[in-house]
Amino acid sequence: MIDFVVAHGLVARSDLPIPQWLFGWAAALVLVVSFVGLAVLWPEPKLEREWWRPLPRPLSRLVASRALDAACGAIGVGLLVLVVYSGLRGVQTSAANFAPTFVYVIFWLGLVLLSVLFGDVFKAFNPWRAIGRAVAFAARLASRGDLPAPLDYPPRLGRWPAALGLLLFAALELVVADGDKPQNVAIATLVYSALTFVAMALYGVEAWIARGEAFSVYFNLFSRIGPLERRGGELGLRQPLSGLAKLEPLPGTVALLAVMIGSVTFDGAAESPLWTGIAPDIATLFRDLGFSPAHALEAAFGLGLLAAVLLVFALYRLGVEGARSVGGGFSGERLAGAFVHSLVPIALAYVAAHYFTLLLFQGQALAFLVSDPLGDGSDLFGTAGRTIDYGLIGANATWYWQVGFVVAGHVAALTLAHDRALALYDDAKLGVRSQYWMLAVMVGFTSLALWLLSQANA
Amino acid sequence: MSRNQRLGLVALAVAAAVAAFVIVKPANNEDSQDTAKEAAGKTAKTPTGSDAATKPEQPSVQRIVIRGGKPVGGGRELRFRTGELARIEVSSDAPAELHLHGYDIDKEARPGKPAGFRFRAKAEGAFEIENHTAEDAGQDPLVARVVVGPS
Repeated sequence: MIDFVVAHGLVARSDLPIPQWLFGWAAALVLVVSFVGLAVLWPEPKLEREWWRPLPRPLSRLVASRALDAACGAIGVGLLVLVVYSGLRGVQTSAANFAPTFVYVIFWLGLVLLSVLFGDVFKAFNPWRAIGRAVAFAARLASRGDLPAPLDYPPRLGRWPAALGLLLFAALELVVADGDKPQNVAIATLVYSALTFVAMALYGVEAWIARGEAFSVYFNLFSRIGPLERRGGELGLRQPLSGLAKLEPLPGTVALLAVMIGSVTFDGAAESPLWTGIAPDIATLFRDLGFSPAHALEAAFGLGLLAAVLLVFALYRLGVEGARSVGGGFSGERLAGAFVHSLVPIALAYVAAHYFTLLLFQGQALAFLVSDPLGDGSDLFGTAGRTIDYGLIGANATWYWQVGFVVAGHVAALTLAHDRALALYDDAKLGVRSQYWMLAVMVGFTSLALWLLSQANA
Repeated sequence: MSRNQRLGLVALAVAAAVAAFVIVKPANNEDSQDTAKEAAGKTAKTPTGSDAATKPEQPSVQRIVIRGGKPVGGGRELRFRTGELARIEVSSDAPAELHLHGYDIDKEARPGKPAGFRFRAKAEGAFEIENHTAEDAGQDPLVARVVVGPS
């Protein structure tokens, strides 16, 4: 047996598993919602049509102004520098250093919430985009306009770089034992920044932001759920979820969603008795292959992460193959691309249900970490003495929120898939029959989410 | 299906879901405390239930023994009910600096002198007690998990 050391140095508190009765009730609710949904959802596609209204001019102009864009970019760059500086120069206790909490909680989780509520805010704050644009601007000035044009972004690459980037980020968080050590967070940030600048230099800043840069793609997906969208120089309102209906099914999009849902699945499952029971055995296997004990455990976790991603991918492909079998003459690839946008609300439900208490509690740490980012005892804003109030929300309220997120995500996914089926199939009956398969997949994902919530620390 | 039929079906489903919720939800009052006590099983040494309100509160003491830097019997779960006065005693055969996360309580255990944690279990969730002395020696720091929840 190998000592079982779990990586999360940041987490001082974890959620209680949802009680059995609530698990049973929620699972039944999901089934009822699904069948009632099939019966009452609209008979004409609604989300696919064009509907966008600009907000009142002054507000719209302000949000889309170049000055605000530049200011947000500068804030983003400042935060990037602060993460790297505090990670490298600050104390190496993850909970007392600004870098880990900022990257894993404020950035990774907080921006998901902001994206859904306010649209694609990360695009404005993205430090790599801001630096890339500034360098391009300077280079144009210096070369008097005759810069070589960037390479064409290879269509086959699609969203694959983003999927790979997110998988590596998840591995740093969930697999690497010292992934939350401030120094490692800083080094990973530097490496990722360097790769991003190289890719931007090759393919152009905006092209890489739109498809390759993992975090831009990730937050942009979530921003498509919400009602705010910027078009040209104006900010406007659209139907909620309709931004997803416009998602282009580029190559790698299914893989990207599988990584998004699979990594949260693995994070939840890693606390379940199922995984804590088999992980030491897998680790022993790697140790027999010559791995050191620490690396053997990391290898086991890496394998678990990959298995979870593949499980999600396989479950989705199963639904696609089922939908293909009802007829209509669509290829599996075509169907997989056509319905992949309906996985985004499910991914959001996974993130929300699994991490919202982490954001709520560990997010409070920002108050003292900004005053003492290096953990060296300084008190810049007089808030270094603040603590985290763990009484903010009780176990009961947490459970109801979690179940609420999961069921809401299920309903949104169902709605999107239904709407797409109406648009895709000429024959309404075929469309409905294809939806039985998609519905089965969604019930599968939702039940998995509920099961994970009932497993943690059980 | 007409619009009214749809709305009726949705209303019916909502009513059924609410009714099912009310029926399966365990009542959160005194008679549920007995079942809670049974559920707690091994930790039910405490006098609880209807007597607890009348008698002066007896804090439940849970004991952990550390030998060679490891908790005997592995990192167990110590369960407390929300609002309860919790007491935990950790004895160790070597000096050990202990930290209860979340509640942020630091105690030191020495041979023959156990560390006593005593706190009101207000914040719900699972919190770890860690042995920083063991951690510095490269061992698994987990001593026990303090689990505070409603019943």
